[in-house]
Amino acid sequence: MNIPEGLKYTKDHEWIKLEGNKATVGITDFAQGELGDIVYVDISTVGQDVNEHEVFGTVEAVKTVSDLYMPVTGKVLEVNKALDGKPESVNADPYGAGWMIKMELKNVADAAHLLTAVQYKELIGK
Amino acid sequence: MIELPVIPAEETRKRKPNWLRVKLPIGPEYAKVRTLVDTHKLHTICESGNCPNMGECWGAGTATFMILGNICTRSCTFCAVATGRPTEYDEDEPRRVAEAIQLMGVKHAVITSVNRDELKDRGAEIWYQTVVQTKNLTPATTIETLIPDTKGNWDALQRMIEGGQEVVSHNVETVERMYRRVRPQARYERSLEQLKRIREAGKRSKSGIMLGVGETKEEVFKAMDDLANQGLIILTLGQYLQPTKMHLEVAEFVHPETFEMYKEEGLKRGIRYVESGPLVRSSYHAERHVNVPID
Repeated sequence: MNIPEGLKYTKDHEWIKLEGNKATVGITDFAQGELGDIVYVDISTVGQDVNEHEVFGTVEAVKTVSDLYMPVTGKVLEVNKALDGKPESVNADPYGAGWMIKMELKNVADAAHLLTAVQYKELIGK
Repeated sequence: MIELPVIPAEETRKRKPNWLRVKLPIGPEYAKVRTLVDTHKLHTICESGNCPNMGECWGAGTATFMILGNICTRSCTFCAVATGRPTEYDEDEPRRVAEAIQLMGVKHAVITSVNRDELKDRGAEIWYQTVVQTKNLTPATTIETLIPDTKGNWDALQRMIEGGQEVVSHNVETVERMYRRVRPQARYERSLEQLKRIREAGKRSKSGIMLGVGETKEEVFKAMDDLANQGLIILTLGQYLQPTKMHLEVAEFVHPETFEMYKEEGLKRGIRYVESGPLVRSSYHAERHVNVPID
């Protein structure tokens, strides 16, 4: 189970990589493993302001569909278009090629309550 | 020249409807079940079948154990369990399952197995021991055993069901016409007979049908007629979902209202309890089936 130290996490299994007031978001290695083969990533909130814990898209695996939750309040700037043709990148490389959105945080201070790698690992029992 | 049926090379992906949405698992109970399963080297159909309800069930501290290994002698097209020549025959397995059930503190345990057609007794002795040892260790735990097709070996069937379990299930899985496509090594009539014999042995019989593999409504009604004729007590109806891209494709996403209609139809036919809904699996809400009266 790969839970990189440098990232922040949510209870909903998203990771977030902060760079100033911008960030990249995806789902964790644990999440992709639980979902199984991912067949579609559906995000239609580009350009929209989405509140923390609101749904910014869905991820569809062979057997299930799961909501994707905004880790912190902000604007969705960009979607990883490469996932359209290669959704399996989320399984193969969840923290790299499998990233889902780039976003702009409304308040950088909101990121303070995100989970650390250690806290997230505890949550999933690893 | 024989004309082969043309299977269209469909590239259009069927989007999953909203009613199939689930939450990913989280929390201490989930982690506890995960640890127990791993440390006891047990197999679960939850994992092997890539079950969409795993988060919910494991999060509530329950799992469905799969005994007799994780390689099956059958090659049913809907099932994610690996097909092959099984190598595992572990006489210590009943003890480990019983122990895990005790440690998990489950009130109602569901146990299933792969098919072991290569064994003379179809794995019946391991089945019997698992039930008996679980009952010895945790007498208050009720048990459902979801047993395989014994291929007409009725002595094996008898042994599988005489350990004291409260519910004995055997899934017909689909309507008669779809057997060749879905359960090639099984026979519809044989599964019905097995259910009849389970009932005649005084057991609470239970069966399940997956919908959305290409069956018609009339065929579902006919299957329910047939099941009711075997004195079936409990029926589960759920949406078939492809466990991996390599498995049988979903023909249709059946609407929740249709599931409701089937439930009414099942009850009308005299089946005592019908669990029907898109995400219903054979062992979903199984604890509710223990007290369904059988007389």
